[in-house]
Amino acid sequence: MKPFLFALRQEPSQRHDLSRLTPDRLVGRTQKEIEAIDIGTTKVDAKVGDLFKVRVGDPQVVHFEGGSERFDLLGAKLLPGFAIHVEGDVGARLGRGAQGGTITIAGDAGAFAASGMTGGQIDIGGDCGDFLGAPMAGEIFGMAGGRVVVGGNVGQRAGDRLRRGLIIIEGDAGADLGARAIAGTIIALGATTGRIGYLNKRASLVLAQGGDFGPTYVDCGAHHFTFARLFSRALAEDSRRASRLLSQKLRRFAGDTGVLGKGEILTPV
Amino acid sequence: MSKATLDGAPIAIEDAYQHAAKILGGAKFPVVAGLATDAAGARAAILLAERLRGAYDHLASDQIFNDLDVTRSFGMFITTPAEARARADVVLLVGPGLTEHWPALFERLALGEPARFNDAAPRKILWLGPKRNEAKVEGVEIETIAATPQALPGLLLAIRARVGGRPITLNGAAAKKIDAYAATLKAARFGAVVWSASAIDGLTVEALQGLVTDLNANTRFTGVPIGARGGASGVVQVGGWMTGFPPRTGFGRGYPEHDPWRFDARRLVDSGEADAALWISAHGGEAPAWTRDDVPLITLAPAGAGAARGLYIEVGRPGETHDAVELAQETSSFVLRRATAPSEAPSVAEVIHAISARFSEDVPC
Repeated sequence: MKPFLFALRQEPSQRHDLSRLTPDRLVGRTQKEIEAIDIGTTKVDAKVGDLFKVRVGDPQVVHFEGGSERFDLLGAKLLPGFAIHVEGDVGARLGRGAQGGTITIAGDAGAFAASGMTGGQIDIGGDCGDFLGAPMAGEIFGMAGGRVVVGGNVGQRAGDRLRRGLIIIEGDAGADLGARAIAGTIIALGATTGRIGYLNKRASLVLAQGGDFGPTYVDCGAHHFTFARLFSRALAEDSRRASRLLSQKLRRFAGDTGVLGKGEILTPV
Repeated sequence: MSKATLDGAPIAIEDAYQHAAKILGGAKFPVVAGLATDAAGARAAILLAERLRGAYDHLASDQIFNDLDVTRSFGMFITTPAEARARADVVLLVGPGLTEHWPALFERLALGEPARFNDAAPRKILWLGPKRNEAKVEGVEIETIAATPQALPGLLLAIRARVGGRPITLNGAAAKKIDAYAATLKAARFGAVVWSASAIDGLTVEALQGLVTDLNANTRFTGVPIGARGGASGVVQVGGWMTGFPPRTGFGRGYPEHDPWRFDARRLVDSGEADAALWISAHGGEAPAWTRDDVPLITLAPAGAGAARGLYIEVGRPGETHDAVELAQETSSFVLRRATAPSEAPSVAEVIHAISARFSEDVPC
């Protein structure tokens, strides 16, 4: 069976909330019903049919042909066993609260991607905006499970209040990577700027490029970590470069001692 | 009489109200931004945003969220300046420019005098990262640690680490000073930290409040925040009681949605998502931060701050040209400020009511 297809008709004139177009919510719906779904966020009416040409297919796999940085909440609360692929860009809160499944984005993603995600896999081919995996206003923790791989660069505060799960950034990371992280793992293969792991409680940050981590990261020396080698093998499928980084001898900085001091930053010697 | 201009050329005030109503009433997603006004002005502006199904934002939102995000995702110990003045035997000032953000800081907190409930023992004043010469105050002895804005967040965490007895990488004189600070803070009977979210960022505020939390395990410690410019703390309260949310809230779907990223007025205008803007800056006549200049703009600002582009309507300064209710830094409560130099210039609330009265019938109420 062919995948469910949403082909973009025109550039959107407002932001759209695509949280109602996840595969599990399309099961058993007719084309007409889907075209009538309201995806507007302003007083100007906007239905799925105005924006997309819809082709009903296998709802396990949903394809978007053409994206926009105004498509918010794509793949929100996605359930295990479903897949979404976007041939283009997406907006804010990609995969917000996703519980499983896979999301692949060929282009860029906006702010707050993977926010509140608890499971599943997100692959972003291009760049990603600020606050990757971060909590929304007023929430206690951010991403709490699953795996995100960003092929390009990410904005500020990636991995903010990370609770569990894995973030791999193959490009450069913006300021304040891994701030307030509670636990989980962040691997950054490009450059980093600003404070790294500020207020980090128990998370592991693996950086390809070292730097100055401030007075609250204590040098613990360089080691061959058994777990890092094991982890390296597990990462081979997700990111070869991340896998290679973890197979090396790594210098460990323990911190942030300003909070618990049970987190760490690992960089190659 | 109020003055108005359109693209710099004077127009009659009646025409200005009519024109403003036409711009806002015809917009698909207008943004009410700036919002630097008194309680009545904020009320009228938020009501207008709701009626137009637009969004509202404040010009100091970034500073507002430096504090508010900590309050809502971490927790915050705060007290009134009066309580700190009466009880604090140790006061830790954090960041540069505090006396610019609150000129009455030393006088209101009586930092040169002993706390009322501390047996006349002198207050200990610490200042982490003041500006050059800022910590030289006559009659007040201040122990300072110099810190650039870049180094300050790290040093603050170093103090917190030493309060908890955890290791840091500083050594020598720097480590000694950090240890001395930690010892003073731990020995406090009732300590207070004072900071301005206009001088340090949200992560640093969270680190500071974490320090206060740690200290509260063994003594009493609290904080006195210095509010942001443009009546920010008052506008946050007004937004709270009207919609349940602070600025950066939108009504696009007919109900209030709060999203600090999506409803950032600068982003809304620059991205073209907002197709009209009402800019309110009644205190200082600040200009908007966005760069785009093809979005219809209505500016409400005091005399002398006229906008060369778009529609400009002169308003009075709250508490100066007209009586105004504002959240006062010195009392942490709403107060009535009597006009010091009354004038005919209308308040923001009056101008918005005049514009709202001219909407065509099809704009829903």
